[in-house]
Amino acid sequence: MTTTQQHLQHLYWRAGFGPLPEEVTKMGSIRKAVHALFRVSDKVEPLDSPTMHFAEAKATMAASATVPTMDSQVAGMRTTPEASLMRRGLTPEQRKLDNEQRRDAFYAMNVGWLDRMATSPAQLREKMTFFWHGHFACRVRQPEAALQLNNTIRRLALGKFGDLLLAVSQEPAMLQFLNNQQNRKQHPNENFAREVMELFTIGRGHYTEQDIKEAARAFTGWSDDENHQFVFRARQHDDGPKTFMGRTGNWGGEDVLKTLLEQPQTAEFITTKLYRFFVNDVPNPAHILPLAKSFYQSQYDISLLLERLFTAEWFYDAANMGNRIKSPIELLAGIKRTFGLQLDDNKLFVTFEKALGQTLFEPPNVAGWPGGRSWIDSSSLAIRLQLPQVLFRNAEFRIALKEDENDIAPTVPRAERTFRQPVKAHVRLAPLTQLLAGTAPAEQPAKLSAFLLQTPIRPENLALIQQQADRAPADDRLRAVITSLLALPEYQLM
Amino acid sequence: MPTSRRDFLKTSVLASSLLFVPKFLHALDRQGLTRMRDSNGRRLVVVQLGGGNDGLNTIIPYRNDLYYNARPTLGIKPQSGILTLEKDLGFNPAMTRLKALYDEGHVAVLNSVGYPNPDRSHFRSMDIWQSGSASDQYVATGWLGRYLDSNCPGCELPYNGLEVDDTLSLAMKGNVRKGLALKNPEKFHQITQNQLIAKISGEKANTGGSELDYLYKTLTETASSAEYLYQTSKVYKSGVSYPNTEFAKSLKTTAELINSGIESRVFYVSLSGFDTHVRQQEQQAKLLGNLSESLGAFAEDLQKSGEFENTLVLVFSEFGRRVSQNASNGTDHGTANNVLLLGGGLRQKGVLNDAPDLQNLDQGDLNYQVDFRSVYATVLRDWLRADDTVILGQEFARLSGLV
Repeated sequence: MTTTQQHLQHLYWRAGFGPLPEEVTKMGSIRKAVHALFRVSDKVEPLDSPTMHFAEAKATMAASATVPTMDSQVAGMRTTPEASLMRRGLTPEQRKLDNEQRRDAFYAMNVGWLDRMATSPAQLREKMTFFWHGHFACRVRQPEAALQLNNTIRRLALGKFGDLLLAVSQEPAMLQFLNNQQNRKQHPNENFAREVMELFTIGRGHYTEQDIKEAARAFTGWSDDENHQFVFRARQHDDGPKTFMGRTGNWGGEDVLKTLLEQPQTAEFITTKLYRFFVNDVPNPAHILPLAKSFYQSQYDISLLLERLFTAEWFYDAANMGNRIKSPIELLAGIKRTFGLQLDDNKLFVTFEKALGQTLFEPPNVAGWPGGRSWIDSSSLAIRLQLPQVLFRNAEFRIALKEDENDIAPTVPRAERTFRQPVKAHVRLAPLTQLLAGTAPAEQPAKLSAFLLQTPIRPENLALIQQQADRAPADDRLRAVITSLLALPEYQLM
Repeated sequence: MPTSRRDFLKTSVLASSLLFVPKFLHALDRQGLTRMRDSNGRRLVVVQLGGGNDGLNTIIPYRNDLYYNARPTLGIKPQSGILTLEKDLGFNPAMTRLKALYDEGHVAVLNSVGYPNPDRSHFRSMDIWQSGSASDQYVATGWLGRYLDSNCPGCELPYNGLEVDDTLSLAMKGNVRKGLALKNPEKFHQITQNQLIAKISGEKANTGGSELDYLYKTLTETASSAEYLYQTSKVYKSGVSYPNTEFAKSLKTTAELINSGIESRVFYVSLSGFDTHVRQQEQQAKLLGNLSESLGAFAEDLQKSGEFENTLVLVFSEFGRRVSQNASNGTDHGTANNVLLLGGGLRQKGVLNDAPDLQNLDQGDLNYQVDFRSVYATVLRDWLRADDTVILGQEFARLSGLV
């Protein structure tokens, strides 16, 4: 297979958030590029900044503790019982402040991560963190817990799946989200056990309801403390014999996870999900089964699996290129990366995410974002196609978000959910000018489309864009062409 | 009179389409106008009350001491103007127009609608109501979206399901077909008038199954729908006076679309702000007043055009509130709740089942009497003539003789 610019771009889109203009000009082999992707992703740099932290004690200290209530689930995001006790006593003003501070911290995490997706050299690590963010989908109200889970995922994203699974399963955010703090010897709560099997490891149809019951018993006592650290509460743990997947013993949570990893079905389940994310929404067993087998044999080495995937010949088949609808995050991070996009008001990135249907740290439920064609309906497509005008022409962005899209603070007044403003955006076009150096003006739209689009442009669209370029004043030509190319359905694909 | 009016509307719709719609859209429009299978011209308007409306202060058990014991200050006193229904229940004093409609026999009340193992998070419970799933299932499509899938695979245009909003709810997303969200036809139309978008949406979509084909198909359908809705909605401008609220505006748009004769079978409108943990009475009265006045105007609008008979309104919220009031004169998240049905074609009216049982609570929360999917099944099968079992994935007992 000869490396073409399109192949390299394909790799950069799938293993990261798109190519930089300068990357495709110095073309090497795919093998070298894959190697480099892993090398620069070796280093683990946690996502962090002071603005991402919210000391829960700060707002809640003053409040007095009262009786426990269901109020702990104020906003579709779970809080610890202790936190809810404290929230309960808040005055409306304190509650509002509490909500705002949480929201600010989540916004900082969101925008900070988006920025990193766009700028970090560790593209593969960030992409995998994003993949696992959807796989181990979790939605909690505590910024600290959410950030900690995110960094745990980032740290183990390219290692052994078993390590990642265990660490995530012991993250306070996940234990809370899946109610494991209510999973006690006397009153088992099966939620966590069920999702670990259905969504995180082996998939539906490969376990029984009895397996869930027994696994739930094994996870009793898995809890967290006030410092967001995992603790095992022996007194709440059921240490009687349990029969899980045909084997009997005094199993604990670790044993259940280990047993799940021993099932080759788990390797197949995870490989299929990765394949659908990285290659094609339609699984091809001929590609997947050998991968899954080696994944299993390598004791779930994620890097090894990805390397095989990115170097497989079929990965670069025409049928597997430009065939994935970018998720809203991939779309936004991609534009940000290619054009060095900056907004005067960073919060607008979150508004765009909400308008398009995917907000970091707010998956719809534990099953994550469904993806694929579900991203696109008439309204979301219309917003996508308007976006280039907004970002490259400072056009007004008008939208009223739904209330449930803002559930960190549940009752956000409509006025605060309504945006109607020109967007102050800044983009860097110099790298593209350089990419076009030496290309005759008449050839430039075609050259740009080959860089910006992963699927061949329709001839009539190229003609349209050429016309527009010819009509634009010389100093606006490049911007005009880019704005139009990004507003094509073709740009929605990668 | 209504019949001839509809005929008139149909003719003018056709005339306006022919005048304004670019040539390439004609073929699509004709397909779009194929009727939904066996729908009898009936339509459903779903009204979502976001935030978990307190059902007990909406439909008040005003003769039940347990109610007043649990809500010493929050309980609404009989002397404050409760609008009495039957079975010792009464509407919140703010719901005068709905009470008038009730008296005319256009309202049915279902008490204690819910589902097993209720989830008290707004987001998750709304997800469950919108997808029509069980509480431990994660379904990425909505019940109305699957209705579009099942009943109108051949309907080429997404306006068969319309949401009056800027973004589309899960409820309206099917596997194959999805509804269309628009705040108003003019604004949505404007978007598609952008020079480039107008041009590329006019390009022929390939009929293949690729993602690119899907995108082009969606774009063409969007532009075509926007054009159709914009032109058609000009036919009827409402003369009825609505309250000056966002929600009322959405219902007015809905009435204008219906009375203009557009073929949509499902409409979706939301009113949010019901998450009343504090100072509930004041807030909720305002919201319920808005709901009642707006639905009153909407009913009047449809009655004038003769479309009320063919319209069923379903009002729901993701959960009710706890029976007991909390320390800040509000209520916390609860479980089962009432559902209102409204329309000119109801076969049963009034309060349809027992008042909520305040004696037998589940840790302070109401037990559900009716599974919400039974309500969906009834509406789907008996009103829209759709296959409820396919759409809901299993069979739920229907409420017989309701619609």
